Amino acid sequence: MAAVNVPRYVLQSVVKPARYVGGEWGSVHKDLSADNQVRTRFAFCFPDTYEVGMSNLALQILYDLLNKRQDTWCERCFMPWTDMAEQMRRLGLPLYSLESYTPLRAFDFVGFTLQYELAYTNVLSMLDLGGIPLLSADRKGDDPLVIAGGPVTYNIEPMADFFDLVIIGEGEEVLPELLDLYDANRSLASRNRREFLRLATRIEGVYVPAFYHVSYHPDGTVAAIQPSEPGLPARIRKRIIRDLDRVDFPLAGIVPSTEIIHDRIFLELFRGCPRGCRFCQAGMIYRPVREKSADLLIDQALAIERSTGYDELGLLSLSTSDYSELAKLTDGLLCNLAPRQISLSLPSLRLDSFSLELMEKASKTRKSGLTFAPEAGTQRLRDVINKNITEDDLLAAMRLAFLGGWKGAKLYFMLGLPTETMDDVEGIADLTRKIEALYNELPKSQRPRRLEMTVSTALFVPKPFTPFQWAAQATPQQLDERVRRLRTLLRSRSVKYQWHDTDTSRLEAILARGDRRLGPVILDAWRRGAQFDAWQEHFQMRIWLDALQAAGLDPDFYTVRERSEDEVFPWSHIDIGVSRPYLLSEYRRAQLAQTTPQCRDACSFCGAESFEGGICIGR
Amino acid sequence: MADELSVLADKGREPEKITIIRMCFARSGPPIWLAHLDLMRTFERSIRRAALPIAYTRGFNPRPQLSFALPLGVGLATEDDYVDLTMLEPIDPRSAVDRLNLFLPPGLKVLTAGVVSAKDPSLMSLIQAAEYLLEGHGISTAAKRIAGLPQDRPWLVEKKQKGNMVTVDIRPLLMDMHDESPDRLFIQVKAGSKSNLRPKLFLEALVRLGDFDPLAAADTEITRTKLLIADGFGGLKSPLPRPSAF
Ligand code: SF4
Repeated sequence: MAAVNVPRYVLQSVVKPARYVGGEWGSVHKDLSADNQVRTRFAFCFPDTYEVGMSNLALQILYDLLNKRQDTWCERCFMPWTDMAEQMRRLGLPLYSLESYTPLRAFDFVGFTLQYELAYTNVLSMLDLGGIPLLSADRKGDDPLVIAGGPVTYNIEPMADFFDLVIIGEGEEVLPELLDLYDANRSLASRNRREFLRLATRIEGVYVPAFYHVSYHPDGTVAAIQPSEPGLPARIRKRIIRDLDRVDFPLAGIVPSTEIIHDRIFLELFRGCPRGCRFCQAGMIYRPVREKSADLLIDQALAIERSTGYDELGLLSLSTSDYSELAKLTDGLLCNLAPRQISLSLPSLRLDSFSLELMEKASKTRKSGLTFAPEAGTQRLRDVINKNITEDDLLAAMRLAFLGGWKGAKLYFMLGLPTETMDDVEGIADLTRKIEALYNELPKSQRPRRLEMTVSTALFVPKPFTPFQWAAQATPQQLDERVRRLRTLLRSRSVKYQWHDTDTSRLEAILARGDRRLGPVILDAWRRGAQFDAWQEHFQMRIWLDALQAAGLDPDFYTVRERSEDEVFPWSHIDIGVSRPYLLSEYRRAQLAQTTPQCRDACSFCGAESFEGGICIGR
Repeated sequence: MADELSVLADKGREPEKITIIRMCFARSGPPIWLAHLDLMRTFERSIRRAALPIAYTRGFNPRPQLSFALPLGVGLATEDDYVDLTMLEPIDPRSAVDRLNLFLPPGLKVLTAGVVSAKDPSLMSLIQAAEYLLEGHGISTAAKRIAGLPQDRPWLVEKKQKGNMVTVDIRPLLMDMHDESPDRLFIQVKAGSKSNLRPKLFLEALVRLGDFDPLAAADTEITRTKLLIADGFGGLKSPLPRPSAF
């Protein structure tokens, strides 16, 4: 298929045209002539803007992994901003890859990475702009195989109609097997798509939604999810990398020429999180914790710095303070990086003297902002969510921070957590006041001249595969009341209060725990104009409420309804290793405000030990 | 090689060793869509990849010390642009060019380089004029129309200045213009920090006063073909004397 030629006047008229032209350092171009062996064309799609997508580590990792294969050429495709999308529609230009400007529909695979639910409508926009039938059922032999991966796919049911195949777990494990299978069965795939998909289900971690049938009770809850043919697995088990040290990491990534959101080298310290916060989906789906060794990370950092020319390096993980070789790693990085004019940007760390010292060392001149996530305002509620941070911890940390010259910190909280009462909300204000008092008590010579605190609240969204998957989301009225209370309580010159839009979190809650009946709703909302839902300037809850109503669905069914203990969830056929009985016992403990120790202190046999890797080994 | 060239900034700078390398570069293809800041960033990272012994600015956020002659608008190609690199030590310009070219993304290319005196005024302040090739459908006819307007009639166009729209007369900023074919027009214009005519503004004048089709204007390819500095004798010259075989 001929390369797409975007007229010059189009690029001249859109915002940030550099998003649409590719050609960056490190982007991969392959020779398609016969002797060059490229047989499989893979379009890696990120359903958001170039700047957001290029900041995503999964993209860099899988781009590198796929392009190391001789038989495959992986290219990139992002969601064009509305000005560009409009022009493309007007001129009939199909969405194209940034490397060879090939229309999306000409690829063998169109693979989406899904990082958040609010990108769903953008997936439809990209398929539509790419000239690919939206519904899996409508695709024919020469259409691309439309696949998805990423954290959101653990409950892909609302999007089940649109994907031919979904990867449950880590792409590095599953994709190579899938591509091998495709290469060996190329003609079958175009002759008989269904047969090929059937074959693909033999790969562990591959989920083909069309092969599963969902039935519902009259009240709308799921009655059963069953394979539609014999021989299919009743449950699809996630795939993970057992030893991260032994899997390729991109040592020469793509270096964008135009500014992106996280414009730096990323070092991935470990996957998973030992903590077990009960609201956190990432903490459960990525279990068990698997660390990379500090020596390897230091080597990789230096190699990446040489090949990319970046001057900033960031550490990536769910909870960097829990990395067991943190001191060794940061020492090694600092002594190697400083002479090369590279700065180390630190994620939010658990605040203690070690991390403050580290921050001093990392930012020689400027004090970077401190952030903390106590998540809840009272000890009781922190025990409910199993967030292992006490008021004393926080005050001790703030004391160190003030003595170290920091003017304040940004504190993150959630509102609407299970069992939350107005006392807990007021606790947020109390905590803030105690920090103010602490500051005021310090002698003037030992504290910064001004105090600047920021309190930020977001609405809690119950997520699948967490102990709170049974819990109700707070109602909009409850939330408004709580936000209003905080606004009155937090009136102080030295405290800034920020709160998040509740509608966005409501939609997120609907989609996160949604079932297949939402497929037509998403399609309808998209037809009514929903896109870029993660962007405040585009998000319109009205559209979604109308689409839900048109489908005869009640948003409250998904949001504010507490699930019974034996409810069959739309995602019950997905097996993340962590067991349902474990999650349920955690939910029960939460209601009693009982905490559970983290993996390093005591194993709770959550089920992830069945992967025989990472932190669970040797216990 | 990389390690030979890489210089530890901690060694500090020894003023007697500081060397300014002036590079002449071209851009075409995807990089023409980079904004000026993007282009700077791309050069910085390429220089780091090439491990050239570049000096860093001091202060909060040290950056490789580069200074560009004249920002290039988004969408413009160039055949003759300049950037000065402050090096911590003497380095052969030719090998710096060869090395940097290995690490620039496709579409950016250094053509030549030379050493200039560290005492010279900044490159940007030297620039006096620029030449552009404008390729657009029917552009030369429009150019003839505006050239044929009465001598005392100003060429007024609107432009944004500090957030406000102001009307300016661009006629005095055009130094020379000649067509090569109906669709190819060369212009020489004032450029630099004192007075500067951006080619897109000239295209707008063609639309407003020369009846140039707006779509053709938006589709016109613009290439900067020359940047010029004063030669000290009332004339103009290239910022770098061009060596014959390089
Ligand atoms: S099995 Fe034990 S150590 Fe492993 S993830 Fe679960 S709780 Fe943690």
